[in-house]
Amino acid sequence: MTHEEHIELLPLAALGATDEREQGALDAHLAACGECQAELRSFTDTAALLALDAAPVAPRPQLRSRLLSEIKSIKQETTERAETGRDAKVVSLEEARAARRRDEPPVSSVRRPTFLYGALAASLVIAGLAVTFAITQRRENDRLQATLSQVSRQLADTRSQLDGTNTELARARFESDLLAAPDSRTADLTGTAMAQTARAKLVFSDTTGEAILVAAKLPPAPAGKAYQLWYIADGKPLPGAVFTTDGSGRGEMRSSIPLEGRRAEVFAVTLEPAGGLPAPSGEIYLKGPAS
Amino acid sequence: MNARPERDSSDAELLRAVAGGDEAALASIYDQYASILLGLLLRILHSRGEAEDVLQEVFLQVWRRAGDFDESRGRGFTWLVTLARSRAIDRLRALDSRARTATASASEPSDSVSDASADTFRAEQREIVQAALAQLPDEQRRTLLLAYEEGLTQTEIAERTGQPLGTVKTRTRSGLMKLREMLRDKFEGADALF
Repeated sequence: MTHEEHIELLPLAALGATDEREQGALDAHLAACGECQAELRSFTDTAALLALDAAPVAPRPQLRSRLLSEIKSIKQETTERAETGRDAKVVSLEEARAARRRDEPPVSSVRRPTFLYGALAASLVIAGLAVTFAITQRRENDRLQATLSQVSRQLADTRSQLDGTNTELARARFESDLLAAPDSRTADLTGTAMAQTARAKLVFSDTTGEAILVAAKLPPAPAGKAYQLWYIADGKPLPGAVFTTDGSGRGEMRSSIPLEGRRAEVFAVTLEPAGGLPAPSGEIYLKGPAS
Repeated sequence: MNARPERDSSDAELLRAVAGGDEAALASIYDQYASILLGLLLRILHSRGEAEDVLQEVFLQVWRRAGDFDESRGRGFTWLVTLARSRAIDRLRALDSRARTATASASEPSDSVSDASADTFRAEQREIVQAALAQLPDEQRRTLLLAYEEGLTQTEIAERTGQPLGTVKTRTRSGLMKLREMLRDKFEGADALF
């Protein structure tokens, strides 16, 4: 890259918005170019002023006292600084980059303007060790965190499987209870001209009204439509629950039939708007007398 | 801009004192800049809890590493803000990789705007920066703030916004250059934070 191309990168570097490759090339150039160093400093100072765009927010007062008591037990890592001659800078930058290559995982932390504030020569080893320690620590934390979330995910999965199994079990028990109940009644429904091969069986408890309907070979309900069961007593249809079918035309419905519905002479299924209606409006697809 | 306070050189001095183990100097820096930094952290993190947590980390780091501050490389304010921003963006990424959803909904309004008006000088500085930002074309300002507040690289901004990489770079560069021109005479020469 030419000097001009590096100059173009400086505002981006000041924001920490360069790509890794660009930053590497820029660092190398900066080590040898005082003009670019000054430019970068000036852009970085400008970028920092962007912090003032945010409305200031006062921290809770206890944070201040916590900070001031915490620092009493924290050792300062005052960095011994080499005099900032050109040569010292060159050495420091190269070492800084080498240290970074060794220590930092590729995806880590922000690309801050690396040239600025880098620790100088003698301190780099210490800084490197500190960074390594911090990163190891953080990696360990991240790893534990990841394990933890994995375990809780698995737990949640297991729990939902268990819930699913319980639901299946309850459903099966409900069905077998219903079929075995002495008071259970059935109705066989057959397809009308709308669906000649369709058929369905309705089983319900005369005392509780609990009901299962299983239908087969119904045409798939168009979008926004669903099949609705009707109980026809004294020639008057009472609305029942709605259900849809799968690709093979099979539909299942569990519901509770109200007392009047249980006295129906005829059961019928029509195609209605998906939510069902209080009175039938669509074609009848299935129909059958109570047994 | 006239209103540069007399305490110009004091920030660098304060940082040197902190490096020397002066607790009162740290308290003084905290009192001057904690609100500004918390405002910035909240902008980046959208969570009061996370922001205060990072603020604490930042000042602990100031305590530990004040000796690294080098006046020849930028203002004290720049050093503080760079530190805070880096930490916040690190935290943002760590949070993102864990539970993005949880924090997205926790975006809190920046309430309790501090006694900014009590410090009219500081409020004035803020107005200057905001006025300068307002003069930038929208897309330059947006690109600049995406880089600044989300720590995105130019490539990432291009992906996020669907703009060509070259366009993104030009906008960022022009934005910051214009900002520098507008702010140059207002903040230039300040060795201190303000």
